[in-house]
Amino acid sequence: MRWFGFGFNAFGQIYVGGRVNDDDTANEVKVITPIELKGHVDGSCRTKISGLGASWSRRATLHSNDRIESWDLDNDRKTPVWSMEVKTPSDGTGTPPNLPLIPDGYIALKPPFYRPLSPHLKATRLALGAEHSVLLSASGTVYTWGLGSHGQLGHGGLLHEEQPRVVEALWGMTMSCVAAGGWHTVCVSDAGDMYVWGWNESGQLGLPSHIARKTEHHPTSQEIADLSSYKEKPEGEKDKEVFISIQAFPALLDVTPSCDIKMVGCGSRHTAAVTSAGDLYTWGWGQYGQLGYETPYSDEPRRVEFFREQQMRVVDVTCGTWNTFA
Amino acid sequence: MTMSLWPKISAVLPPDEDHFPLHFNDKVEASVMEMLRRSRHQLYTGAPATGRLLDAQIVLDVSWEKLNMGTWRHVDKEWRRVYSYGCLFKVCALCGAEPSVDDLLQAMRTCDMGLLMGAAIMDDRLQVLVGILQKEIKKDNRSEGGRKLKLVLPDVPLIGEDQAIPRVKCPSLESFKKNYLLPSKAVLLEGTIDHWPALNQHPWSLEYLRSVAGCRTVPVEVGSRYTDKEWSQTLMTIDEFIDRYILNQGATPICGYLAQHQLFEQIPELKDDIRIPDYCCLCDGDEDDVTVNAWFGPAGTVSPLHQDPQHNLLAQVVGSKYVRLYSPEDSDKVYPHSSQLLHNTSQVEVENPDTERFPEFSKAPYRECVLRPGDVLFIPVQHWHYVRSLEQSFSVSFWWS
Repeated sequence: MRWFGFGFNAFGQIYVGGRVNDDDTANEVKVITPIELKGHVDGSCRTKISGLGASWSRRATLHSNDRIESWDLDNDRKTPVWSMEVKTPSDGTGTPPNLPLIPDGYIALKPPFYRPLSPHLKATRLALGAEHSVLLSASGTVYTWGLGSHGQLGHGGLLHEEQPRVVEALWGMTMSCVAAGGWHTVCVSDAGDMYVWGWNESGQLGLPSHIARKTEHHPTSQEIADLSSYKEKPEGEKDKEVFISIQAFPALLDVTPSCDIKMVGCGSRHTAAVTSAGDLYTWGWGQYGQLGYETPYSDEPRRVEFFREQQMRVVDVTCGTWNTFA
Repeated sequence: MTMSLWPKISAVLPPDEDHFPLHFNDKVEASVMEMLRRSRHQLYTGAPATGRLLDAQIVLDVSWEKLNMGTWRHVDKEWRRVYSYGCLFKVCALCGAEPSVDDLLQAMRTCDMGLLMGAAIMDDRLQVLVGILQKEIKKDNRSEGGRKLKLVLPDVPLIGEDQAIPRVKCPSLESFKKNYLLPSKAVLLEGTIDHWPALNQHPWSLEYLRSVAGCRTVPVEVGSRYTDKEWSQTLMTIDEFIDRYILNQGATPICGYLAQHQLFEQIPELKDDIRIPDYCCLCDGDEDDVTVNAWFGPAGTVSPLHQDPQHNLLAQVVGSKYVRLYSPEDSDKVYPHSSQLLHNTSQVEVENPDTERFPEFSKAPYRECVLRPGDVLFIPVQHWHYVRSLEQSFSVSFWWS
């Protein structure tokens, strides 16, 4: 399987450039067109990348020789900052653990890297947001815990939860995939439906967002001048637009044209989804190219055309804070 | 037009990289430190503005995400400092070459964001930069013909004689303390702020506020009352606020209120127009412990009935406001919200109470008054107060313990 990356690259998370000429800085920091990832390990011990997890500047890679490694810019890029041997069952079933889940616990993005998890949850997948955690159990039930100030827990309120709590609104539906952004959560059901909740600040829920409907992030003098024409607009026009800032319960999100979703990934403020047809859709914050197309914000899912153009099927996606790997 | 801007800015920056401090504790990750160092290096090596702008934006974006984690009170000050450095680097990148008016306005906005969300860095250098920028931005002369605040004749509620808050002319500190502060009695002080420049040398007209602070970015509450579902906070410049919510009132059904903002910390020029009342010094602590807030808005802004944990002197500079007070002894009759966030706020719409839901409310005795320019209302600690502006209004509150 080949992996491609796009988005924030100030630390060589996607590729290591020369950065000799300052004029190239912008192109190097923001990767908009997906670039194939190269293994960071020297030839002799080079192994196939089978899974990938990412944070703002650090990239944790799970290699098929059952070793988890975390890379950091502090290092000379030849050795990982942190690593751990993982023993997979020797009976040959050989399914590698789903990052960041590892036997009896999970790896956090910040030290302490290893945190234990109660075995009765039978976790099959775990996603970590900036301040919350989302767990998928073997039975397809979604649990969330952590801070809920932006509705990211999906229990309908803004309160925090100390312990994993079932997202009741999804009760009865079997989920197959979960992802957590900085302050939002996305999950996919067995039937291919996608549910979103949490903060919609940059349109990361794919719901109407105030910021995404404005062309410019910061008002310019032109905009200020435009204010004088503000009063001439019919009153109703302004009222019709309903923006969603916080969605505290799961909401069903459709991608047009309608299709089944297989996998999802979340960056701090963006979301990416893989359809059963092998297309990649992205939405939310795109300032650093993390959407794979050029836009600062998008509050509706749009297809990343690169993979179609290259006649490739996308089967998996994972997001770093400000970048995307597919 | 602004050829000479950069020398002015670089003059207030350290002479070289070695003298430019970047000290943070280990809360700030190595990768962010690397971005800060890159930005600092670029500042002194004449790197192209686009790259510098991008790196400054990265610092801002990453610290912005940190500032949004947890509650504001718990945000680590180190990240607020990182945010301020991001602002500093961005302002320098914007003003490096020959900045356009838009660049200058954006730089100004960036400084204000740093002042509002960041923490003081390098002897409050952002405040110095904003002063330089302020001088640079030519005031565009909008013809308002010296229009003053105050336009509509207000519909003033009749104040019952029994309910009227007593008015006292310039009481001595001692008599204020003995008769009002110690027994926790509300009083309306007359003639105590007449010497403020805001009331004589430079009366706070819209024009004056625009000229001193028009380009400055401030937080604005949008929605009639903070208890409403649709209520939100947003950032805009004072010019925008005046255009949209003061002058254009009526064209939009939405009410905007520059409320509970420490404007005078942000804009020292306006601070010079007011004085901290001597009465605030009657308690422990000095002037630094007095919290000074600005309240600027059109007619019809409402602060729902609520109580504060400190004494309050509410000084009326422009326009008039209707105020009603309830004693803390009657807290059970004003039906405070049960949620932790709003437990200091009453559920009752004071001037249109739902007598079925809140039957006890009408039994609670109250005091009321209309504040006019020059009036100062003493609201003792924990006293429930409801405030509605009757016309365009600018008030200054002083909280102290």
